[in-house]
Amino acid sequence: MFEPQAMTKVIIAGSKDYMGISIDVLYNHNALHIADFADEDEDFKIGKPYARATKLSERTVSLRSIASYLSITGKEDIQNRYPEGAITDEIDEKTEHLNFEVTQVTDKISGIDSRIKDINDKKRLLDPLKNFDLPLELYGGYKSLAVFVGTLKGSPAISDITNDYELETVPYGRGHAIALFVPKEFEDDVLKRLQDQSYSALSLPEMGGIPKDILADLEAQLAELEAEKAESQKGLNALRKTYIDYILASDEYLSIATQKAEAPLRFATTKNAFITEGWIPTKNLERVQHDVDSATDGHVMVATDASEAVSAEKVPIALENPMPTEPFEVLTKAFSLPKYNEIDPTTFIALFYPFLFGLMLGDIGYGAVIIGIGFLVQRRLKSKGIRDLAKILVYAGVVSIVFGFIYNEFFGVELFGKSGLIPSFYAYPTIPRFENVLTLLLVTLVIGILMLTLGYVLGFVNEYRRHGLKHAVFAKVSWILMLWGGVLVIIEILPPLTSGTAISVSSALLAGLAVAVVGFVFLIMGEGIIGIAELPTLLSNVLSYSRLLSIGISSAGIALAVNQLSYALFFSKGGVFVILGVLMLIVGHAVNTTLGILDSGLQSLRLHYVEFFTKFYSGGGTKYRPFGYVRKYTEEQ
Amino acid sequence: MVDPIGGGMVALAAAIAVGATGIAAALGEQVIGSAAIGVMAEDEGFFGRGLVMTVIPESIIIFGLVVALILLFVTMPTI
Repeated sequence: MFEPQAMTKVIIAGSKDYMGISIDVLYNHNALHIADFADEDEDFKIGKPYARATKLSERTVSLRSIASYLSITGKEDIQNRYPEGAITDEIDEKTEHLNFEVTQVTDKISGIDSRIKDINDKKRLLDPLKNFDLPLELYGGYKSLAVFVGTLKGSPAISDITNDYELETVPYGRGHAIALFVPKEFEDDVLKRLQDQSYSALSLPEMGGIPKDILADLEAQLAELEAEKAESQKGLNALRKTYIDYILASDEYLSIATQKAEAPLRFATTKNAFITEGWIPTKNLERVQHDVDSATDGHVMVATDASEAVSAEKVPIALENPMPTEPFEVLTKAFSLPKYNEIDPTTFIALFYPFLFGLMLGDIGYGAVIIGIGFLVQRRLKSKGIRDLAKILVYAGVVSIVFGFIYNEFFGVELFGKSGLIPSFYAYPTIPRFENVLTLLLVTLVIGILMLTLGYVLGFVNEYRRHGLKHAVFAKVSWILMLWGGVLVIIEILPPLTSGTAISVSSALLAGLAVAVVGFVFLIMGEGIIGIAELPTLLSNVLSYSRLLSIGISSAGIALAVNQLSYALFFSKGGVFVILGVLMLIVGHAVNTTLGILDSGLQSLRLHYVEFFTKFYSGGGTKYRPFGYVRKYTEEQ
Repeated sequence: MVDPIGGGMVALAAAIAVGATGIAAALGEQVIGSAAIGVMAEDEGFFGRGLVMTVIPESIIIFGLVVALILLFVTMPTI
């Protein structure tokens, strides 16, 4: 809960003859985090993958190409799991057969596609000529005539070259489509003239008939091809439906088999033996040891290695939190995984994150909406990260409602009390935000001081574990002393400063000063004179918590503005305007809810990452990736 | 009764405290934010640290805000 899962370092060694069976056992346990072997020397070489790996990869490639033709992404759910035995028996035959069937259809589709493209090309070429009545075969093949067919800007002016010409022209696009017949001897001159007018020639397809008729004919062919294509597509969909279970299952089977076959690449091997290092969660250790031992008749040994357990740098990290706080792991991971000997901050995030969020948002209406959104997202979306965030949103919404009751706010409106929506009910004292700004400012600063103190205490624990008591006192207790000494001093001198009276030297003031100075001396002893540079962060960190108030007030202010504007502009006029007023309320509060989630969410996160975490948490752990697979589509036998 | 000129001055001072520090914080975050997004495009694991870096200049506006609150709620009633 407060620490990552306990891991034990293991060294697994044995005869090569038993490597395969050990891999099977380890893989099924899905517990060993392998430390890949990389430093080859004369005795130890990186292991060779089993020969079957090549064939497995080939099968995977052909299967995935089929899957992509059938647009199977690998994220689909299937009804029943596939027994693994049924796959191994027939995978070659079935994949080949499937490949044949699928390529038959896809070949047909690509044939149709290329014909469609061909027809579209012809259509494009003939389109400018659609209003000419001259059959296509008459646009060329003359001995004494040059023919220009194409498009150009404006209409051709060649009367100064020759009057002996025949011209057909119709407006087309921004210019004209032309068919111009001139005697051969003027061909070059005319071409030059036309080029001045951006003439672009059409290379006509070799067909006969009136262009308009040809186009109609092409159109008919196109419709026919499209229908044919739709038919084939249907066939492909039918194939997808029939084989999706099989494809997903065999893809999973192949992934598993490939990983197993390639596992020796991560081991160190000698001529006759293999050896691998890694970590196993301590709770699984005994079962793994027992199973490996019994499966290999004691020829492979899983030995624990305590010597390196102390150097926590490389130990893989698996967070372990009970169900209610587990979703908050996503926030820890977004910052960084803890190191092995470091406190896992997830529990603290789970406590403070919704609290700070609710303190800022603090509205019964918005809280309820946010809970609704949280549940909706959980129901609709599958991604684990998003669902975790949605769960966090539900927690935050609940706390927002609690603070909504304290602030007496419902979508920015006063809910209970004489001037509220429900005037008859007035059962408890509320703290309206706009009337208690200074009190709430103090409350936020106190929250800041407490959270920072907790941060330093946790930091003390971390430092104590890593570097011992002396270092921990200098590095963390120093700050706690300065923080609380400073608080005492400020409590004593702030009232006289603001009211302009003289500061009286009280015993509390002296005590505060003394404590702060002791803390300061500790800091200098621990970090040297450079520690002074970090002093101002203490003040800014505490003041930073005042955002809890300011974000809250701005959110409540927007809600108030939406309500008052909709009343002044629309509701007060009555009639049709009421509809507009309701519309404005809905849009305004929807926008403010979005802002509320983003702002409160990010600012609360920031107070954790920047102000709280920097006191104790550095992170940088490696993620625990066990050697194994969580089956989704297949069943082991 | 609040002195209208003095009260107005205090309100203006509060506005400047929030406004000017807001601009300053924005200028700072603009530079860091775009750099952080750039790093995140390479490595998504940088999100947490990127966020921390990006919001560092925010302290400026928080100071401005505290000054404004004190002006409005401590100084204003004494005028």
